[in-house]
Formats: sequence, structure tokens, C-alpha cells
Amino acid sequence: MTVSSRNGRTTIAGRYFPVNRGGLCQKGWSAAELLDHPERLRTPLIRDNKGSELRPASWDDALNRIADEIRSIHAQHGRNTVGVFGGGSLTNEKAYMLGKFARVALRTSQIDYNGRFCMSSAAAASIKAFGLDRGLPFPIADIEHARTILLVGSNVAETMPPVMQYFQAQQLSGGSLIVVDPRKTPTAAAATLHLQITPGSDVALANGLLNLAIRGGYIDEQFIQSRTSGFEPIRRTVSAYWPDRVERITGIPEKQLVDAARLLGEAQTAMVLTARGPEQQSKGVDNVLGFINLILALGKAGKPYCGYGCVTGQGNGQGGREHGQKADQLPGYRKIDNPEHRAHIAAVWGVPEESIPGPGRSAYEMLEDAGSEDGIRGLLIFGSNLSVSAPRAAHIERRLRALRFLCVSDFFLSETAALADVVLPSAQWAEEEGTMTNVEGRVILRNAAVPPPDGVRSDLQIISGLAERLGAVSRFPAEPQEVFTELRHASRGGAADYYGITYERIEQENGVFWPCPAEDHPGTPRLFLDQFATPDGRARFHAVEYRGPCEQPDDEFPLYLTTGRVMQQYQSGTQTRRVRQLRDAVPEVFVEIHPSMASSHELSSGDRARVITRRGVVTLKVRLSLAIRMDTLFVPFHFPEGGRANLLTNPALDPVSRMPEFKVCAARIEKAAECLTEV
Amino acid sequence: MSHGGVSELRKKNLVVIGNGMAGARAVEEILTRGGGDMFEITVYGDEPYGNYNRILLSNVLNGSQHEHEIFLNPIEWYRDNNITLHVGVYAESILRKAKCVLGQDGSIEPYDKVIIATGSRSHVPAIEGITLPDGRDKPGVFVFRTLDDCREIAEYAQSCRGRAAIIGGGLLGLEAARGLQNYGVQVDVVHRSQHLMNQQLDAQAGAILKATIEQMNIGVLLSRDTRMVLGEDRVTGIRFADGGVLQCDMVVMAAGIKPNAEIGARCGLKVQRAILVDNQMRSVDDPDIYVVGECAQHRGHVYGLVAPLWEQAKVLADHITGAVPNAAYHGSKVATKLKVMGVEMAAMGLIEAEDERDEIVQFTEPKKGTYKKLIVRDGRLAGAILLGDISKAAYLLQAFDRNTPLPEDRLTLLFDIGASSKKLSVEEMPPEMQICNCNGVSKRDLLTCTKNGKRNAKAVMESTRAGMGCGSCKSLVAEIVEFACGGEIEEDPSIHYYVPGVPFTKPELIRICRELNLKSVSSVFRVLADGKEDAASKPGLASLLNTIWAEEYIHEPDARFINERVHANIQKDGTFSVVPQIAGGVTTPAELRRIADVAEKYDVPMVKLTGGQRIDLLGIRKDQLPDIWRDLGIPSGHAYAKSYRTCKSCVGSEFCRFGVGDSTSLAIKIENKFKGIDTPHKVKMATAGCPRNCSEAMVKDIGAVAVEGGKWEIYVGGAAGAHVRKGDLLCVVDSHEDVLKYAARFMQYYRENAKYLERSYGFVERVGIDKIRAIILDDEEGAGAALDAAIEASIAAYRDPWEEAYTAARPAEFASTLSTIQ
Repeated sequence: MTVSSRNGRTTIAGRYFPVNRGGLCQKGWSAAELLDHPERLRTPLIRDNKGSELRPASWDDALNRIADEIRSIHAQHGRNTVGVFGGGSLTNEKAYMLGKFARVALRTSQIDYNGRFCMSSAAAASIKAFGLDRGLPFPIADIEHARTILLVGSNVAETMPPVMQYFQAQQLSGGSLIVVDPRKTPTAAAATLHLQITPGSDVALANGLLNLAIRGGYIDEQFIQSRTSGFEPIRRTVSAYWPDRVERITGIPEKQLVDAARLLGEAQTAMVLTARGPEQQSKGVDNVLGFINLILALGKAGKPYCGYGCVTGQGNGQGGREHGQKADQLPGYRKIDNPEHRAHIAAVWGVPEESIPGPGRSAYEMLEDAGSEDGIRGLLIFGSNLSVSAPRAAHIERRLRALRFLCVSDFFLSETAALADVVLPSAQWAEEEGTMTNVEGRVILRNAAVPPPDGVRSDLQIISGLAERLGAVSRFPAEPQEVFTELRHASRGGAADYYGITYERIEQENGVFWPCPAEDHPGTPRLFLDQFATPDGRARFHAVEYRGPCEQPDDEFPLYLTTGRVMQQYQSGTQTRRVRQLRDAVPEVFVEIHPSMASSHELSSGDRARVITRRGVVTLKVRLSLAIRMDTLFVPFHFPEGGRANLLTNPALDPVSRMPEFKVCAARIEKAAECLTEV
Repeated sequence: MSHGGVSELRKKNLVVIGNGMAGARAVEEILTRGGGDMFEITVYGDEPYGNYNRILLSNVLNGSQHEHEIFLNPIEWYRDNNITLHVGVYAESILRKAKCVLGQDGSIEPYDKVIIATGSRSHVPAIEGITLPDGRDKPGVFVFRTLDDCREIAEYAQSCRGRAAIIGGGLLGLEAARGLQNYGVQVDVVHRSQHLMNQQLDAQAGAILKATIEQMNIGVLLSRDTRMVLGEDRVTGIRFADGGVLQCDMVVMAAGIKPNAEIGARCGLKVQRAILVDNQMRSVDDPDIYVVGECAQHRGHVYGLVAPLWEQAKVLADHITGAVPNAAYHGSKVATKLKVMGVEMAAMGLIEAEDERDEIVQFTEPKKGTYKKLIVRDGRLAGAILLGDISKAAYLLQAFDRNTPLPEDRLTLLFDIGASSKKLSVEEMPPEMQICNCNGVSKRDLLTCTKNGKRNAKAVMESTRAGMGCGSCKSLVAEIVEFACGGEIEEDPSIHYYVPGVPFTKPELIRICRELNLKSVSSVFRVLADGKEDAASKPGLASLLNTIWAEEYIHEPDARFINERVHANIQKDGTFSVVPQIAGGVTTPAELRRIADVAEKYDVPMVKLTGGQRIDLLGIRKDQLPDIWRDLGIPSGHAYAKSYRTCKSCVGSEFCRFGVGDSTSLAIKIENKFKGIDTPHKVKMATAGCPRNCSEAMVKDIGAVAVEGGKWEIYVGGAAGAHVRKGDLLCVVDSHEDVLKYAARFMQYYRENAKYLERSYGFVERVGIDKIRAIILDDEEGAGAALDAAIEASIAAYRDPWEEAYTAARPAEFASTLSTIQ
């Protein structure tokens, strides 16, 4: 997009870029409203004692207070009791600096970020199967050329509208789009075939499709032989997923399963794309691996217009997970427990290798016991609204309140910032320069269009100021381009190698795809064409069995609950709820329910109802929809306080990715007028 | 370490009797619970194979699946998991006192725990004449139970090709009947009961199913009690209790199953229909003996389907390994689907209402073979029969399995009355209907905007932002605007712009650039676009200006893509490829030698023949390019640009026995004429010496095909890349010269009128071959001479870019400071 400012008014226009092709959605057009929004924080806030109100303070006072608190907690409880929480919307420069700040200035292992709640399952599965995690291993425009696409649990039409055009072009040129979703979303409605899956049964579907692919003679034995390993156990595993069994588990009619397998099997080129639907589950990694098995067995990976990809959600969801704000990671997608990787980063940072802490705990685990004997005592949060976005949100909010010290950097007083002891007003997207890495692995540059308002600082300035006060040994520059230069060296030779990327190149070439190991290297739009990134160059199959979600409906909680986004809102709503036209479009939280199920509960459109799970109750407005399965409820997750969908969600974690089960739990619904049930 | 600790490490012996789906599944479940470390596992299986999926046997019989596809665990699996498999060995008895199992082969296996999973066999009714007098099976009589049965049935059916009687009109019988039809056998199903599938269907459904089955040319005989198989030494027919006779050449028994419970009875376990088990799947008499599958009877039920048996295996494994010490089995919900081609049937739970609590929801349409019946008890699904239309089966199965409360609107249980698939017309759409989801624009917003004076779709879209997100609603927005304007729509000019950043159509732009002498991209922006440079418009303009001005065009390197800047094709690792010209694919030993020398001198990583009949040197560093070009001394083959690329040819009449025209020398003439000509997108050509089309001329942008009588057909707009299209026949001409003339004219027309990056196939489709013919052949617009002149000027302006590059002082373009990665 292009941002221009005239007479103090900032306006936004679409700009042709190879990703969105000039398209913008309502969130994009209206984003300028956030820049000069009256609720914008313009001064640091300090709470003098627990229980007192937040009061305005100077930057010096605020930063000194934070440094003092950190030193005092360190002295009393040790270095690992101060944690850092980052976000997938921070620029690469910030994500990198935040990781370095945690390891060098705080010397804590306790750092993680909200991407853990987002892409971690797909990332873990990709690394297992391909040896590398990059959202899409091909440019997004390749979507147009795939003859068949299986899109699992993604509502692109509402969550990333400009990307929908690629799927349309794909279908217009005769390609088939198969969408898997418990709801007939606008994306599903636009598909060639919609598989209305039972929440939590993705592995059964993936194995069932592979069963049919084998039966139909669609698998590519030659590809399996020459470019993969581990297929035989898969053949055996999926032989137990014959169509009528899979129909019974997934609720997808057998005929549709057969059609889907045929569309995939007969296509010259095919892709499987997953999003949060299958990923945000306690079997998220297995779910993704199941679909990867399918695409590998069909021989549709590591070739043009083919492959598996994960459709990322946050602006910098990809870059945010490459440069060290993840508990187990160092910049360049290096591993924090690998001695060579540690040595490289230590040299770049100019610190002894042994001073870099080891792996920390994942997001939910770090928050789960925050403020307790065994947990962290102090926490710095950048760009995350945890009291809305974390699973089992009421519990997490209690943990945040129990912290000895909480510092939040945000541009509005979000629900989480309101709990903090120090709140730092930070600059927004259009007010500072920085790079992001998009879903394709394309590193792009966001220019500063307008200066930040007085009293507001960038996160890099904040980190720099804190590092200085804490007497950190390494450098903490506040200039984005200087940080990026350091990041290039830090990532050099890593899986996500940015060494050859410069701000100038990004501008000139409309972004550069990593890995890009040298300045005259053209970047890598398509990965895996010759070999996969595993040690032997072969993609790996992983046998996965259907185990179902942690909670299945029962007499007490007879329905499934799933959560997701609506068109006009983004994440916890901190930003989008503050834009008038977006708020007006969807003013309050609602539950989507099938009219037949609603009438059984004597609910009609607009009624107030209570959705109840083992963890909490939310009162909300009833919205009838024929687009949802009869046994499933849908609640969007952008709303605050009593309307938080995450009061209901299940924090059961995936054993590998530590992803919580946002997408499925058991629930019941009742009319709000009836007597209250304590849960 | 104490001795007690050591002795606990001794693995216990687990002997599994039966290697069918139940036994093997139980073993798998035990292994996944770490049972491999607790037990030495021994398995007896009386079939000579690993374990296979019996429910798929019907598919093997009907040919839709191959034998090897139904194996669950091949022999190696047992070895890999350290399981001793007595394959093809029948386990005779269990000595409960001595705690060992005796195999028929004399083997003795001691056990701590034993699992009986002997399954069942076909129930063979007491019928006379099944065996020969000497006790052997009478040829032509079969049961349908194992892989071997399946093979024998198929073999016999193939050899007799006569008539087959299936005894039993249940699930298996009907599947076998349909399968046998594939071998050219006339099939009759003989059933004792009054309707088919009486285990799963009520009488009404049975009657409808009968009609459906009969339509498939399978005879159905109901209420027939078969008493005798006729025939001396092989089957010739069967006789019923009522004295009637059915002539047939083979008989297949599919009259139900009989649990193999004898081994239990022999060792003193309680047996009724099958071996009695408790909720932990143990024999009620012996806690060390587990029983699973069709040989187990739990609370009065013997299950003959896979799903229940797997549920039992899970409980058994949980219990035997101690993974879930209080694991308990409480019975299974039974559902079946008939896997017979052409019949859709699903049934679950109750068949008939049992008491007044039960509510029946029913729909029949016998003519269409459709029948749906639900039995609802306390708001939950207690049973269902679906015949003909089973689209709701998936939902009902899940509701039945989970005992989900059903919606009160019963109709939604029988039919998909989801969102209507009928498309609303623009008039019918309610005003508040959201048209653009991305930007939340309703029909009303669009109408208002039109009323306020925006009279075309683009103006309305810009004003309301409808269609500016994903763009999927653009055509709908256009329809609504058209509707609102009552047909008085003002066309939006910009859709015809050649490039987005300069507001003119291509012909206008050509005219203006000529008039105003605009010879560089920057001058076009300066004069025609208020000085606003638009990066996306640059390459298109560069191409156009080159077309107009030929020699006079002022190059500005930043307006071009890297390929066109360095005259080579960039590869994915950052190196380049060099393709020298080889006109018509005809080369000489000297030329080949030179190419070979260059390849050796520069250590070229790969030398490859291209699809365009040329030689490609791959993996060349940018800084090497000028030297290589010089050493080659062959002009550029232009394999990198948006321009004429190459002309493929076959050997033609000169050598080929079939050739009717000289395609090779025509291809050379084409190459010499068109080399390096800029075009809106690449142009590939070919010439074919006869209609066999070896050089694929009909799927090229321009192709010439020789036909009888010395004539040439010219095809345009063909494609065989991501898009495949056969070219349209432009004309038939008499000579090479005419081919060159019309190809040139077409090429210039394409250059002047196609959008930038529009391939000829899109262009020809868009403009239409009729119009193109009118202009190129009939000169209807009188532009023929101008087209000819323009392309001749471009041809005259041609310079070999390679020669220019290596004769000039080395341009910075080719500098390379860092080496490329390997």
C-alpha cells in the first residue's frame, strides 16, 4: 500500500505489488485511522504500587523503573525469572533485537512469542518432513498454476482477501480447489469441492485420501523411490483408513472423499495448503504431517507449481519465527542447543558462547505458572495482547496479575497493557522502517511514511534504552538498517540466510526470497527443486494415526466449539476494534449456530446465549447460519473481557510444537435468560 | 540391584491364536502401548499369509482392488516387531493347567497370557449334495470368506461363464453377486427370508432394494429354502424345499458366519454362540485368556464388523498392558454400508420402532429407489435406514455414534436443505446483501453510488472500494452497476490502457509516440503521465518503443528485466545460460567444435540440447558472458527475451520419406528474418514438412505446415506450455516467400495490438481469427502495407546484442564481485 500524508491527514491507497496485485481489504484501507487515533498512547505510564492507577511518566522514569525491577528480580530469584514475550507482527529487526536482548542483556532463557499460537505446528511438521520451514516453498503467484489445490482449514476470502484472487485465477484456468472446513465459509463456497469436516478429524481425512490415492493408482512410485524415505509404514498405516471408516470419523460423505482423491490424483500439478484449522490442535503437527504424506506420495512436491505450504496469519509470521524470539532458536533459524550455531551467534554478538542461555519454555508453558514459585516473576511483552489471545484466557490473566512486574509495549492501552506496571507507547507500522518476511519467504521493506507522534518511541529505541541501562556488553542499535546489517551477518550460513539481502535490493527487486547467501545471489523463490533440506536430501514420511481431539462431545457438552476470525477484525482486536467502520461491521462477539440446532435450544437470531465449556462461560449474541455443521458452534476470537472466545478454549498442547488446541473443544449452548450455571 | 528387580525384566509370553483382523489389530494396539517390551509375542495364523483386510475381499472379487493392496501386515512386519509367526498353522488347543498352546504342527508355546482371535467361518447350512460321495467338496460349491476363496471363485466363474446361485441375500451375498457379474456369469441371489438384508433393513426397504438389484440383471429369489445341490460330479443346479429347481453351474454360500469358538469349548470355557467375555474382553472363566473379534460374545452380542472389533482390541490392549487398568468395553454401535456398485445403502442401529417412545421419520420414493427412515428415541438417533440417496449418511452416522441430540427440525436430518444453490439474479438480491466481503459493500451502497453519478463499474469500485480486495466480486459489481444504470453505462476507458501508468490504448500510444517523437521510457512518463514513473509499466513501454522506433529507440537499462539487460537467461542459482543461434536446428561440425571448445575452456557445468533444437550452455557467471560470446563468434539465439525466440523444423522433403515441403530451409529463412524482433511476449515458431507435424508447428505461436501440392498452411496462436491450444489456421499459401510475408504481417499486427505480456494464444482468442484474417489477408483496414513497412524497419535495425556487448568497453552490467554459491 502507499501511505500519504497531507495537511495532517493520512490516507492509504492500494499499490501494485506482486503479492496483493494492488488489492487491499477494509482493514488495509482503514488502517490510517489508527495512526492519529485519539486513544493512541503518547506517554509512558507507570503504576507506582500494585493496586494504584497508571499515571503518566517520563521515558527516563519508565525505563529506569523497568531496569530497577529487572535487577531486583534477578538479584532475588535469578536470571531465568524475567521473561520476554514477542509477537509475529514485529519487524525482523525487532524480533532479532528482542531475542538478542533476552539472551545478552537479560541472559534469560525465557523468551517466546505469540507465533507459538499461530504457525508452530506447521513449522515443526515442515522441519520434520522437509528439513526446513518456510511458509510457502514457492511464490504465492504459483497458486494460479496448480491444477488442484487442497486448502485445509483456511478462510482466505475473509482473512487475507487479496490472496483469494490467486485461487480464483486458478479455478478460472480450469484448476480445482478443494476446501476443508467445518464451516461453509466464503472460501469454501467458492471452491470446486467443500469437505465439511468434523473438527479435530484431520488426520483421518489425510490418511483416508492417501488410502484412496493408493487404491486409485495415483501415487508416484518413482518419486517416492528417488526423493523420499519412509513410505512403507505409511502404506500400512493408511490401509486402515478405508473410505466408509473415514466417512464415519470425519463426517465427510464417501463420495466427496473419492472425488477429492481423484481431483488430486489426476492433476498434473497439485498443492496442499494448511492454515490454523488443522494446526491449532493438540495433534497439530500430526495433522500437518498427514497432509504432507499425501502430497509426497502423489509425487507433488519439490517441483514447479507443486508442494505443501502453510498460509501464515500475522504480517511477519514468517520472519518473526526465524530470528530468535522463539524459545529454542537463534537468528537465521538456528537451534539454540546446537554448539556450532551458538558459536556463530556468540561471535556475531561478541559474547562468550557459554553466556548464551539454553532453550526456554514455550509460550503457554511460560505463562501458565507465571508469578508462582516455579515461574517467571517479571515479564516484558511486545506486540501481544495475551489476556485476549492466549488459550484459557481467564487463567492467563490471573497469572499476569500475579507477576511481580509486568511491562507492556503497545500503541493502545490493550486489555493486557491495562494490567501492566509500566506501559510504553510504541511506534506503529507506518511510523518506522523495517523489514518483514511474508508467507512466501519474501523479505520486504516497509518504509516509514509519517513520523511517530511526540512522546512515542520505536521498540528498537526501547530495547536499546533498556540494554544500556542494564549494562549489556553487546551493541543494541536503534536504527533499523543498522540492525538489519547485523541480522544479515547473524543469519549468514543459517537455514534462513539473509546475508545477501540489503534494503536497496529489496526496494529494487520488490522483495528478495531467502535463502539468499550472497549479494549477487538472486534469492530463492522456489525451494526443494533439486533436493529437500534434510541431511540426505530426501523428504521424510511420518506415519500418523487418528487420535481425535482432547475433548470429544459427551452428554454434558454435546457440541463442538471452534474459533476463528471474521473479515473486519484482526487478532485480539486491539487495533481493529478501534477503527469505527470495522467495529460497526461486527460490533460484538457472536456465536454462529445452525438454525436447526438453534431451534432445538429455542434460540433465534439475535438472542443472547451462553456458550459453556469446562473452562468458562461466554455470553454472546446468536447468529444463525446454514453454513456451519449442525454439531458445531463457531465463536470469533477478537473480542475483549466477557466476550473472549479464549475463556472457553482448551489449553491442551501439541507434544511437539506446544501449540494449544484453539480449534476444537466440547461445549454446550443455552439461552442466556435461563438460570446461571456455575462452571 | 536386587534379584526381584531382575526377574521383573523377564518378558511374559503372549500367545495370539488367530491372525485375522482382530488378532493382528490387538497385537498392534499392544505394541503401541509398549507391549513389545513386556511380552514375547507368538502368533498362530492358519492362513498362509500375513494379515489382510477381509472387508475388502469384495473389492478384490469385483476387480476394483488388487490382492496386494489389501494386506495390512506383511510377513516382514512380524519379523521387524520380533513376533514369532506360525504361518499356516492351526492352533489345536489350549492347555490351561500347563499354560501352553499346542499347534497342529506339533509346536508347543507356553503362555502367561493368551488371546483367542480365531474369528469365524462361513455358515454352511445343512444342504444335501454339497460334497461328493467320497467326502470331497463338490466342484462348483464355494464359500466366500478368505483370499483363497476369492481366487477360486474367480477362477471357476471365468472358466464356466454360466450361471451362479448365491445362497444368502445379506451384505456379503449381494457384494459377491455383483462381484461375480464381472466374470460374465448370470447371477441369482437366493434368500430364505422374505426380504433382502433382513438384518439391516425393514420390509419396505428390502422391497425397494430388490427392485434396484433386479435392475442390475441379478435375479432375486426370496423365501426360498435351499435343500439340495444337484449334480453328479459338479454343480448343475439347486433344489428348494418347495420342490422348485434353479439350474446353475456354481453355488456360493454367503449365509452368515459361524464363530470359531471350538478352541474355547475344548478347554472348558463357557461358550454360547461364541466365547463369553467380560468387560475387559477376558473369558468369564479364565483371567489369563482374552478373546477378541467374531469369536467373542459380549453381553449377548457377537459382532461381525470391523469397527466393533477394533474397539474391543483397544480395550484389550489397554487392559493387558496395564496402560489403562480399568479399561472396559461396553458394546459397540453397529452401522453398515453396502459396497455394491450402483446401490447406495447405509443402515445403523434399530430397524423397527420398539416402543411408543420411538418416533419414526420416514420418506419414500420407490420409483427412484429412495427410502429414508429414522428412528428417534429421546431426541437421539436410535436407528436409520438410507437407500438410494445416502448424502446424509455421514452426518447421521456421527449423530448415531456419539448419541448427539438431534435438531428438532427433522427435515434437516433427511435432506440437505443448506444454503440454496440457486443463484439470485441482480434484481432479486435484497438491498442489504453484502456484495464485496473484503470491504463490506452492500448492493444498496452500489446503487447509491451509481445514483450519485458514478456511471461505470470502475468509478463505482474506486468510490466504494468494492472489488478492490480480492477482486472476486468484480463481475457482480459490474452487473449491479449495469442494472442500476439501466443499460446506460459509460464505458471505463482505462481497461483498454496498454500499461496501467499511461492513460492510452496501444494504438493511441503508438500514434502519439510517433507524433511527439517519444523515444525513451522516461520521456513517455514525462510527457504523458505527469512525470510519474510507474515501475510496473516500464517493461511494457520499453517493448513498445522498441517496436516503433527500432534503431532509434533510446535504451534505458532500468526499464528492462535482468534477462534483457544482460542478454542471457538467469537461472535459479544466479548463473546464466547461453544459447547461440542455430538457425533451423541445422549446424556444422565446425560450429559444434567451437561450442565444444568454449564449453571446455570455461568449464561450463552443463551442455544441454534444448527443446528449440539448439545447444544451451548452463551455469555461466555473469562476468564470463562477454568473453564467451566473443569466443563463440555465433550470434545470440535470443533465448531470454520477450521476442522472437527460434524456429523448430523437421528434416522435411530433403531427407524424410514423408516430407512434402522443404521445412528446413524455410526455418532458416524465418530465423534470419525475425531474429531478435521484440514482441509483447515470446514468439516461438516451427515449420513442419508434412502434416505429421513432427516439429509441433500446430501448437506454436506461428507455425507453417507443408501440405500436398507444394502448399503451406500457416497456423497462429498455438501453445503447448502451461496452456495448451492448437493454433488457428490463418491461411494456406503457395511458397516460402508467402509464408514469410504473412507471418511477418501477423507478427507486426501482434506487436502493435497485443497487450504487453499477452501471448499470441490469448491475443488470437481475444481478437478473433476472423478479424485477424480480414486484416492480414484481405487488408480490410488498409493497414497491410504499413505493417509490412514497420516490420521491415525493425528487421533492418537488428544488431546482434552479443557482438555489441563484447565489442564495447565492458559495461558495468557484467561486473561480478562475489562468486555465486554452489
